[in-house]
Amino acid sequence: MDFSLTEEQQEVQDLAQRILGDQVTNESLRGQDAGGYYDEARWRELAEAGLLGIAIPEAHGGMGFGFETLCLLVEQVGATVAPVPVIPALVGAGMVVSRFGGAGPRDQWLPGLADGSHLLSVATVDAQSAPVGWVDCRAEVSASGGWQLTGTKYCVPHADRAVRVVLAARGPEGVQLFLVDPRASGVSLAPGRSTAGEAQWQMALEEAPAEELVAAAQGEEAWRWLLERLQAAWCMMAVGVAEKAMRMTAQYTSERKQFGVPIATFQAVGQRAADCYIDVQCLRLVTQQAVALLEQEKPATLQVQVAKIWAGEVTHRVSQAAQHLHGGAGVDRDYPLFRYCLWCKQAELSLGNSSQLRNELGKVLAQHYLAA
Amino acid sequence: MHIDFTTEQLELQQRIRSYLEDLITPALRAELDHAGAQEGGGPEFRKALRKMGEDGWIALSWPRELGGGEATPMEQYIFTEEVTRIGFPYPFLTTESIGPVLARHAPPELQETLVKGILQGKLVFAIGYSEPEAGTDLASLKTRAVREGDEWVINGQKIWTSLADYADYIWLAARTDPDEPRHKGISVFVVPTSDKGFSVSPIRTLGDVRTNVTYYQDIRVPANHLIGGLNQGWKLITGQLNRERLSLVNHGALNQLYEQVARWAAETPCADGGRLIEKPWVQDNLARVYSGLEALKLVCWKQAWAMTDGSLQMADASVAKVYGTEFFVEAYRLLLEITGEGGVLKAGSAGAPLDGALERRYRTGSILTFGGGTNEVQREIIAAAGLAMPRRR
Repeated sequence: MDFSLTEEQQEVQDLAQRILGDQVTNESLRGQDAGGYYDEARWRELAEAGLLGIAIPEAHGGMGFGFETLCLLVEQVGATVAPVPVIPALVGAGMVVSRFGGAGPRDQWLPGLADGSHLLSVATVDAQSAPVGWVDCRAEVSASGGWQLTGTKYCVPHADRAVRVVLAARGPEGVQLFLVDPRASGVSLAPGRSTAGEAQWQMALEEAPAEELVAAAQGEEAWRWLLERLQAAWCMMAVGVAEKAMRMTAQYTSERKQFGVPIATFQAVGQRAADCYIDVQCLRLVTQQAVALLEQEKPATLQVQVAKIWAGEVTHRVSQAAQHLHGGAGVDRDYPLFRYCLWCKQAELSLGNSSQLRNELGKVLAQHYLAA
Repeated sequence: MHIDFTTEQLELQQRIRSYLEDLITPALRAELDHAGAQEGGGPEFRKALRKMGEDGWIALSWPRELGGGEATPMEQYIFTEEVTRIGFPYPFLTTESIGPVLARHAPPELQETLVKGILQGKLVFAIGYSEPEAGTDLASLKTRAVREGDEWVINGQKIWTSLADYADYIWLAARTDPDEPRHKGISVFVVPTSDKGFSVSPIRTLGDVRTNVTYYQDIRVPANHLIGGLNQGWKLITGQLNRERLSLVNHGALNQLYEQVARWAAETPCADGGRLIEKPWVQDNLARVYSGLEALKLVCWKQAWAMTDGSLQMADASVAKVYGTEFFVEAYRLLLEITGEGGVLKAGSAGAPLDGALERRYRTGSILTFGGGTNEVQREIIAAAGLAMPRRR
């Protein structure tokens, strides 16, 4: 039993805190809204510090650490709501290319991802409100002998900036993973903005050319492997966002005076803030458990579902409590809390919501006891 | 991070499980099923507790000079969890909460009798804090102790003194200086229940758990039975309550109940076809309990680890107490729903699902949300210690 960070992990955490904590301000964030919430300068800074390569093998220009260490960066991004797409790029693309990609894709895409010279993204949504990772997109062999894909991908972060998007499609022998160039013929992008301001594109594929990343023999396994890590990463994001929203609320209510005293001294205020504290502690623990199991490549399906169920509920409760206890300041766009509330909602709905996952979890538990 | 038991800890858990299965004899089971002995105190209970002491389990994580095994709090937690999971009314307040405070503050001669007595499974303590007019506002307590020569003379009345009907000692808070304001004039005593000035009358509670009113009439204890210094009681009480909160909630017993209900739902046919567990609403309730249990397990593990690591925070015990006790109540409700109309049937009734285990448990659940420091006060502690929010009284 060990809940502590290694020395290297502490260094990574400190570095991420320094870079993101100092630079990301409400002022600097306001400038990012028009551009789809992508801060190129900050992304480059993370690259220069080596942080984009945390989970990329050393042979490909990374630090060679694992998912657990990468999640420390994700948490800091949550705590600062920094406009840097660490989840789609570093988890969604970087981790799966590192783990399942052949030498070709690894050499071609990982060094540039680590040094910030190009961006990769991931597409996970083929159908709305479907089971997590549902694959409708079809893959077939084209006349020229390559793969071509047909289908629609929803909510693809930064598809316009990415040189390649990782996605799943169903081929003749099952699910396969591919890399698609969003600028290729047969791909059309329709713009969208998420509640938090992130550019999310609808990506229509019509016999679009694709490079195979994982063949059908391992496709389903790789896809599940990736989805669980994306879910856990979103939980870590939720930990960072919710913890900070809670701390801001404690500080604001300690300074804001009414009836001649800080409103934090009212029991009704303290009690609701304490509930947030309990919620965030629980979310942090279930998330750490899921992340640690994934880091060690142990079975973690149930633990990831549990973490994401908690993430959806805690982000909602903490966001509403934080806004409410702030009063008007909580909704004022000149005060930074509103961004945390928006990212809470995005974390809540991304990669499976609580009700949906509880339904999946319940089925798995029932199967377990029926089989026993 | 490695958020799981080590191989050695898993082996220990297995060893404890098989040890306890042997220890819980049919005679002990029969005794514990008998009304009035459910919280312990019977001869079979005493025998089993002494055996656990002899075999070194109570003192597993204690220093060697006190006869301990010098394991970490993690190993001790594993033992406590298993012993409560199996349904033994382990006197955890005595072993996990009063024991450590006594070891720190009692004079050497009492270490020899009381601390060793606890660790050998020979002594059980009850806690005498609350009074009819002093509950959450404990510092207003009126029970008096007056110094006469080498002795203290104690007079007063306590309430909710659970286990006092069989305990060997009361861990008693009394006013030693009526002129000092509130919590500054309080000291803690160990009071033998064998004294002729001590008496008990029962309070029967909603959950069939017996608790007591206790009376103290001209009880004389030697001066060394005042623990931790004159008028220094408040620190001991808050220290003890903090440890009490840590031991009030654990994961094992509720987890076992969840598994029993899930197995029962998988075996039980549904009138409209299939098994009960195939119903979406049943699965939803099970998933809610399961995800809550995972958090409860981790809150407990994290605390046991933080105690080992020396990084336990002031708010942590309160988080465990509030989350754990409120989740117990919710989990009993969700599990009881699964058992349907028959869920109202008491143990021994024809057709009672799981022989009414849930019917009794839901009635006991409410005690913990206010016992051991009411949850509103815990939330105030969290706001102050965890979130640095200024408090008024």
